[in-house]
Amino acid sequence: MPSFEPVLTRNVGRKEALTLAGYKQLGGYEGLAKALKMDPDAVIEEVKKSGLRGRGGAGFAAGMKWSFIPDRKNKDKARYLVCNADESEPGTFKDRLLMENDPHQLIEGCAICCWAVQAETCYIYIRGEYTKSAAILEQALQEARDAGILGGSAMDSGFKLDMWLHRGAGAYICGEETGMLESLEGKRGQPRVKPPFPAVVGAFGAPTVINNVETLCNVPHILIRGADWFKSIGTDEKNTGPKLYAISGHVERPGTYEYPIGISFREMLDGCGGMWKGGTLKAFIPGGASAPMLPASSIDIKMDFDTVAKAGSMLGSAAVIVMDDQTCLVRAAARLAKFFNHESCGQCTPCREGTNWMELLLSRIEHGEGRPGDPDLLMAVSGNVGGNSLCALGDAAIGPVRSLIKTFRPEVDRHIAEHGCPFPERRFFAEGA
Amino acid sequence: MPKVTINDRTVEVPVGTNVIEAGLLVGVQIPHYCYHPRLSVVGQCRMCLVEVEMGGRKMPKLQAACSTQVEKDGMVVRTDTPEVKEAVKGMMEFLLINHPLDCPICDQAGECGLQDYSFKHGVAFSRFQFEDKRTYPGRERIPLGANVVLNMNRCIQCTRCVRFTNEIAKTGELGFFNRGARTEIGTFPGKELSNPLATCVVDVCPVGALTSTRFRFAERVFYLEKKPSLCTGCEVGCNVTIEHRRGNIKRYKPRANPEVNDYWMCDYGRASFERYKTVPRLTAPRLRGEGGRSVPVSWKEALDAAYKKLRGVDDGFARSGSAPAEGAIAILGSGFLTTEEAHLFAELADRLGTPHRAVAVDLGPEWHIPNLKGGITGREAAPNRRGAELAGLVPGASGMNAKDLLEGDGAARCALLVVADSDFGKAAWDEATVARLRQARTLIVFGWADSPLAKAADLALPLATHAEKTGSFVNVEGRVQRFTPAFPPPGLVRPGVEVLSELLARFDASLSGLTPEEVFAHLAEDVPAFAGLALADLPATGAPLHP
Repeated sequence: MPSFEPVLTRNVGRKEALTLAGYKQLGGYEGLAKALKMDPDAVIEEVKKSGLRGRGGAGFAAGMKWSFIPDRKNKDKARYLVCNADESEPGTFKDRLLMENDPHQLIEGCAICCWAVQAETCYIYIRGEYTKSAAILEQALQEARDAGILGGSAMDSGFKLDMWLHRGAGAYICGEETGMLESLEGKRGQPRVKPPFPAVVGAFGAPTVINNVETLCNVPHILIRGADWFKSIGTDEKNTGPKLYAISGHVERPGTYEYPIGISFREMLDGCGGMWKGGTLKAFIPGGASAPMLPASSIDIKMDFDTVAKAGSMLGSAAVIVMDDQTCLVRAAARLAKFFNHESCGQCTPCREGTNWMELLLSRIEHGEGRPGDPDLLMAVSGNVGGNSLCALGDAAIGPVRSLIKTFRPEVDRHIAEHGCPFPERRFFAEGA
Repeated sequence: MPKVTINDRTVEVPVGTNVIEAGLLVGVQIPHYCYHPRLSVVGQCRMCLVEVEMGGRKMPKLQAACSTQVEKDGMVVRTDTPEVKEAVKGMMEFLLINHPLDCPICDQAGECGLQDYSFKHGVAFSRFQFEDKRTYPGRERIPLGANVVLNMNRCIQCTRCVRFTNEIAKTGELGFFNRGARTEIGTFPGKELSNPLATCVVDVCPVGALTSTRFRFAERVFYLEKKPSLCTGCEVGCNVTIEHRRGNIKRYKPRANPEVNDYWMCDYGRASFERYKTVPRLTAPRLRGEGGRSVPVSWKEALDAAYKKLRGVDDGFARSGSAPAEGAIAILGSGFLTTEEAHLFAELADRLGTPHRAVAVDLGPEWHIPNLKGGITGREAAPNRRGAELAGLVPGASGMNAKDLLEGDGAARCALLVVADSDFGKAAWDEATVARLRQARTLIVFGWADSPLAKAADLALPLATHAEKTGSFVNVEGRVQRFTPAFPPPGLVRPGVEVLSELLARFDASLSGLTPEEVFAHLAEDVPAFAGLALADLPATGAPLHP
């Protein structure tokens, strides 16, 4: 693969980036300084032009999202930016890397976004379990406050900006944007009915932008290096920029890797040392627990939003879970179904009842009590969940289940025919993997 | 106003109307559980999924009708496509897989949203065959407060009850706990569901999860006969449905009237019918005869005796129009009289030429019933003090009022005292007051209850309860509302208008056989506040009286 100079992770491993002074020495806050001299709408235009798409999962164009905020020039109206740092999708650990190693990059990105939509308050909603990231961010925020970037006039521009860290209490559903807003407002974390969308009625009833950590971390670089540079990275017009891939599972060196978006899965696999113990690839999940599994034959797929979507899965949060041929996919799907059942907020019928039913069915099949009609029943049940639920969690929950039946049907049938799991139990942690 | 087309039927609706409401306007019923017209829209049950086309473009997913609002022309909604039917069937299946099959012992059976929609949209066979149903052990009969019992196993998590306590009662005792398939409803620690409107959560609950302590296991709902009526608990005049079995009232349910009680009523009002069951009933006319013993008599004997007493024949003085020297004649009315009955009592007073006429009502606890205009507060423990007074039961010049009769020496000055209601208030059950009223030389008591007052009377005439007669009440806001009998009166009991008309016919033959409608027509002629109104034509929501 062509050599690629890291953008988002350039400061990873540099201790000095943790301090404001060190970050500035590394070229930090130049993007914000530049943005503050620009017209807010011009900042939005620049981000729009760059083609930056949301890195949280849905891949919605970031600049477009910002431009949905109505009446941006009105100084009397409250607007908010909420940074989604509630990274809880199984397999995803890219935002944590950014927050733990380069907190000011995120703060700078948030500040630029706030300027662009003229929001004077930003909340960073961080996953409750991320104690280390929270401590580092809190310290960085304090430094920024002390330096006058936050809490008053940002870099002497007269733009009043404040930023607060809000720790979640451990619910996957609070990563859904409206669930997050409810939680932020101190209510039970459960998604709201849309419309109205958060851009119109968001946090505390005010227009709100919600962006993922990685999305916002891209923003300073777009401002400094320009939209054209950003567009030059990636597959095509619609899939641009650098992208973090959190690779886990049966690979030699799991971890977070930065590549230009659209790198092929094969290159990515080579980059992390290939399959674990020289095993054979059986399946991989390209975008976190909610993305449908892809078979080994998709090894040359380009890992960008549109190509993965065309293959019937989704890039999602780009959490790549690799599974070798000793893996029981029924067990894997059952485990994921259990996760979604556990994390469903319980307010809407299809998700509350459907995720539960899917888990029961899958664990029954895995434990050798499957019946011949079960795969079809799973398809029917998941079909009733998908598209009918209140928020996207229902759609997410059926990803692994439906792909299991569609792509790996023989393995499911074997479980049913043999009244049990044909694969041996593997204990990774015992082997130190 | 924008136009919306639902299943090929087009209707014009105000901006912001949701598709469920718009559907009702054209006769398309969209199934729903969590949606309630007075509660916030949460789109949780997903039963109201419909296909929506806007500006010629079909939305990629099915939309929840409750949260889809008609904003501009060109919305086309379909509820009958295979996709919609399949989705609704799927939601029905999801709701049923973990629902217990205890309909035979469930109070809701017969008026259950799950039963109705299963029948309409569900499938006869379950595909949930080899798994265990989810249960909430130990949470099958949790008293949430004095009046409501929760069976969590039956709950479908629609949160109507939670939203009711938050948004209507504004007391917020209920919450949603846990998550996913373990989600449950409950009261917050240390709180109990004890607000005055608490039992409304039973009404809004579409299934049998919340049941009324009072009604639990009292009757299968499909054996109940339901008749529209009014609550007599206070002066708000909540519209209710009387649900009874062969004249035995089992419960009151609020009947929607946006002008009065909206969809709600208070727990006190709901319990008010119990008086009809616990208080002994006056079942036949009773006349005190030789030796001072009261004996049952026929209506003819009773009314002849009443006429004689009114004319003073028994007392040895002949009435000739002016008040007798031997003592006054007084008529004590009640806030429980219908406006028509009160008007006939006033007519009687006119015939007797007495200024001593009054209405006695108790002040009760204060009840506030919320509605769209903020709500109505009732303070008097009777439904129709205003109507009775407007109909003519107000003291004339130097006439005695209710206080003179009940607390002063008014009764002692009376040759004849007519009490129009044997259960006009607490005083009818109070020994001292009864003794005071008994000081009148002759005491005639009308009414449904065999109260101490009725027992003390020289002549007691049994009248129908409000559940057994036609009439109207005027509530605290001056709104006149009509009600009709839910069932016929028992035994020899007769409606007040019939009895009074027969009695008045002895004074003036033209007054025989009056119906409540005819009396109301007289009232409309006599009293400006009622001008132009007709009892049979009163709108379902009642009519405001002229100021």
